[in-house]
Amino acid sequence: MMAQILEQLINGLVLGGIYALIAVGYTMVYGIIQLINFAHGEIYMFGAYIALMFIVMGVPFWIAVPLSMLLCAILGMLIDFVAYRPLRNAPRLSALITAIGISLALQNLARMIWSARPRQFPSESLPSFFLSEVTQTGEVINAILLPGGGILPFRDVFILLLAVVLMVVLNMLIYLTKIGKAMRACAQNAVAANLMGIKTNHVIAVTFAIGSALGAVAGIMVGLSEVVTPTMGYYKGVAAFAAAVLGGIGSISGAIFGGIVIGIAEVFGADIHSGYRIAFAYIIMILVILIRPSGLFGKSTSTRA
Amino acid sequence: MRNWFVGLLLVSLVCVWGCQPPDKKTDEAQDETQGAQQELKVAVAAPYTGGAAAFGDMIKRGAQLKEKEVNEAGGINGMKLTLLFRDDAGKGSEASLVAERIANDNEILAVVGHFNSACSLAGQTIYDRVGIVELSPGSTAVEVCEGSKWTFRNLYRDDFQGKFIAQYIDNVLTDLESVAVFFDNDDYGRGLRNAFVAEVENTELTLVASEAYERDTTNFKAQLTSIKSKKPDAIFISGLYTEAGLIVKQAREAGIIAQFFGADGIDNADFLTTAGSRAAEGTYITTPFLFGADDKKAQEMASNFEKLHGVPPDTWAALTYDAVGMIAEALQKTYNPEASVADNRTAIREHLAAIDTSEKGYKGITGLTYFDHNGDTIDKPAYVKTVKDGKFVAAEKQLGNLK
Amino acid sequence: MRDKLTPKNIIFCLCICFLPLLMYGIDGIERFLSIDFGWPGGDYVIRIVVRACLYMLLAVGLNIVCGFTGLLDLGYVAFYLIGGYTAGLLMQRLGVPYWFALPLAVLHGTVWGLLRGIPTLRLTGDYFAIVTFGFAELFFRVVRNEQWLIGAPNGQLRGIPSPSLFGITFNQNWHNYYHILILLIFVVFITYRLQNSRVGRAWVAIREDENAAESMGINVGRYKSLAFAVSAAIGALGGCFIAQFQVNISAPFFEFWESILILCMVVLGGMGSIRGAMIGAAILGSLGEILREVLTVLTRFTEYPELVGARYLIFGIVLILLMRFRPGGLIFKKT
Repeated sequence: MMAQILEQLINGLVLGGIYALIAVGYTMVYGIIQLINFAHGEIYMFGAYIALMFIVMGVPFWIAVPLSMLLCAILGMLIDFVAYRPLRNAPRLSALITAIGISLALQNLARMIWSARPRQFPSESLPSFFLSEVTQTGEVINAILLPGGGILPFRDVFILLLAVVLMVVLNMLIYLTKIGKAMRACAQNAVAANLMGIKTNHVIAVTFAIGSALGAVAGIMVGLSEVVTPTMGYYKGVAAFAAAVLGGIGSISGAIFGGIVIGIAEVFGADIHSGYRIAFAYIIMILVILIRPSGLFGKSTSTRA
Repeated sequence: MRNWFVGLLLVSLVCVWGCQPPDKKTDEAQDETQGAQQELKVAVAAPYTGGAAAFGDMIKRGAQLKEKEVNEAGGINGMKLTLLFRDDAGKGSEASLVAERIANDNEILAVVGHFNSACSLAGQTIYDRVGIVELSPGSTAVEVCEGSKWTFRNLYRDDFQGKFIAQYIDNVLTDLESVAVFFDNDDYGRGLRNAFVAEVENTELTLVASEAYERDTTNFKAQLTSIKSKKPDAIFISGLYTEAGLIVKQAREAGIIAQFFGADGIDNADFLTTAGSRAAEGTYITTPFLFGADDKKAQEMASNFEKLHGVPPDTWAALTYDAVGMIAEALQKTYNPEASVADNRTAIREHLAAIDTSEKGYKGITGLTYFDHNGDTIDKPAYVKTVKDGKFVAAEKQLGNLK
Repeated sequence: MRDKLTPKNIIFCLCICFLPLLMYGIDGIERFLSIDFGWPGGDYVIRIVVRACLYMLLAVGLNIVCGFTGLLDLGYVAFYLIGGYTAGLLMQRLGVPYWFALPLAVLHGTVWGLLRGIPTLRLTGDYFAIVTFGFAELFFRVVRNEQWLIGAPNGQLRGIPSPSLFGITFNQNWHNYYHILILLIFVVFITYRLQNSRVGRAWVAIREDENAAESMGINVGRYKSLAFAVSAAIGALGGCFIAQFQVNISAPFFEFWESILILCMVVLGGMGSIRGAMIGAAILGSLGEILREVLTVLTRFTEYPELVGARYLIFGIVLILLMRFRPGGLIFKKT
């Protein structure tokens, strides 16, 4: 029993790490322009596909990942420039509809380019420690054997470590650099920041770039352990959004914490009644919001639609 | 503003006027004879977009192969068979619109489709009202054909298949004692699971776990961990290959050594590529037909299919291939260029309904197809395939008939 | 034009109801010029019109919460689902006539609207949005998982009887057209009356500034609850209609995408405007099918046969472009 709980806890943490990476993209954008960027789930999907394409073309994995991050960052900025920037002064919900439109368009574009067939990263071109397996004799390769018989692949350890490292880097970026300072200023008061000489549009573009690059990493990680499909952005995107809100939308540490809470709630929910797997995560989220109406780490604000 | 407004008013008046005699219009159209028609049109309705698009893709390819073969062989009584592919996006609400679109197109003589049971049922309302045959190559939910004169299907129902797998595990693989079922939480997966679980209770097997997953999700570790703790000898995956491949892969990674079973939904080469051939090794699946060495026709179809599309066919492609073949045969025997569309549509229905014994059955690559009074295929055999050296091959022991 | 029940406005609303019939117009032109694009007519177009009218009804209902009180509701589909399954189960299982099932289902929807309202009253903005989304998702899961309730997997409810009155069974598409038209006119009338009453003004006051409204003596909680209840009742009414219209319903009829689509209609038309919501619904409710036809016609002239698969890609682009050039919605009310 304990062994099972331990194993599920680790499952939840790995899932939560991925949610956190995606949720950060939602929350950063929200913090600055109060927009629920529904297209973020699709950027994450594109990240996985772009990396896959490079790898199939023969680019080594460790080069394909940053390339994909770069291209997704550009895609994120492009979306901001083309679709969101003209709507800065429009009602908030107009931008939301634009985001839905982009999400729909990107998802169908991906289906037309890469077809709906699920794809996987070709195992021969991945670093060998990603390929964990259990042999017929019960020998465990590229994985850690947990007490009680659970198996933790190195790949999942890598995903968790990467999530932690990226979060630390992100926090350093936001709290120690000049652009980070500018982002915080914009989040507090965009107009005032503009008056102080901060180029708001520039800062927003950088925010989109960082969020999208992190989304791309999450997409590649999911592609590694799961599969790449045009609809992969939907489930994880919605769950990650719930995570961002749970943690207090606009707060980065909230997104990380929310991601892990949602991940663990989902995994243990599946243990209780698998048909309601994700629903347990939403119940936890609803309860948290009802007790703390601005999320766990959120500032109390009165925004309106 | 005012001009725009008056214009709108005028347009809507025209429209209301146009709306008035809709029934008349269709009647009129249906009375038109199509003497000079050179094309016989059949709709193939399936999810070409949306979450189930991977299946729609194979359905389209299977249908295209048959269309090509029929036309290369001189068409149907000299007339060309034309397939119209209509997208239902795998959603009931879209399916009913598409069905209305098809039923009211007085050039379309029959429908091959839909894939999802929910879509077949949504379309059924309309096909029944207008009177056009719906021959589904993919809907296995028990209730699809019940109570409908116009709905047929050329594959077995979930209840047969679930029962078959349970008996196979019980009678053929006798060393397996405890089973778990991991099912897709929609009509296909759950219907199959219900039949399987019901039959397990009649056998000496014990059911130790029954877990659900959602279509389009990709992380199954939580459910697999709880299945693993119950230590089943065999796991029956009641779902489609897009998820099943991943389930097997993730299960092997998690150290689950149980024997895997699947139904026809898994019969696709992508199952092997997703799971990885080593993880999938030894998986047993049921299928309505074998692309076996002894079956020349199926072999030929498979090689033609690969030549045309570059990928091997799956169950749905083969079933669609046969469904189009059945409709083509019906058209060849019944189509009367002088008769009205409604009469021709009825003639196809009568032709299919008359195929009710094995002697009259349609010999396709998926076996002999004939219908009971509901339009369900009866006595279509099921075979068992297993994965050996990274390929699907016929299992050494087949079950034969059900008890 | 003032947003009141003036005769002009009434005609305007009726015109919007008939807007999707434009597809008929094209069919008519096609017949008139005796050329064949393969453009459809007949029952198919009526069905699109019925569906567009149903979306208008739902959009008008959602507009009460989103437009009037300014709360972002991402879970409107929950009430649609409750109405559909309540009416469906009552009619199919217990043989309750439609005319009794309808008020019961609407009542059931209203009750859930109020129940959902109690805990969410103090939430604002996106926190409200995500909680409503969570609620809708829970209802969806219940229908999918609780097989004992529905009788078949995936919320598959079969053979819902068509309503009948005086021995006539309303099962033809044009029956449904007049049916939904009557419901729609009723709902639009009620919402117009509410909008221009004390209640409507209270809602707008809450939207503009909740604290100010409260200090002016408006009971914010009560008026918000009323908005939730009315909106939920309209959603359930739509659900009732779809149950008997589709005959066979299943859970995917009520998935999250429907909520999003209805929200798009409200925003696209112009938040807080009843006419706007209707125009938005008329456009988006039939855009998918219009694109299907246009693309099918276009494929005849191009070499690229997969063009029809681009339907939702273009749908998305249309959304982006409409918002880009009319950010306030098609009917934008300056406040």
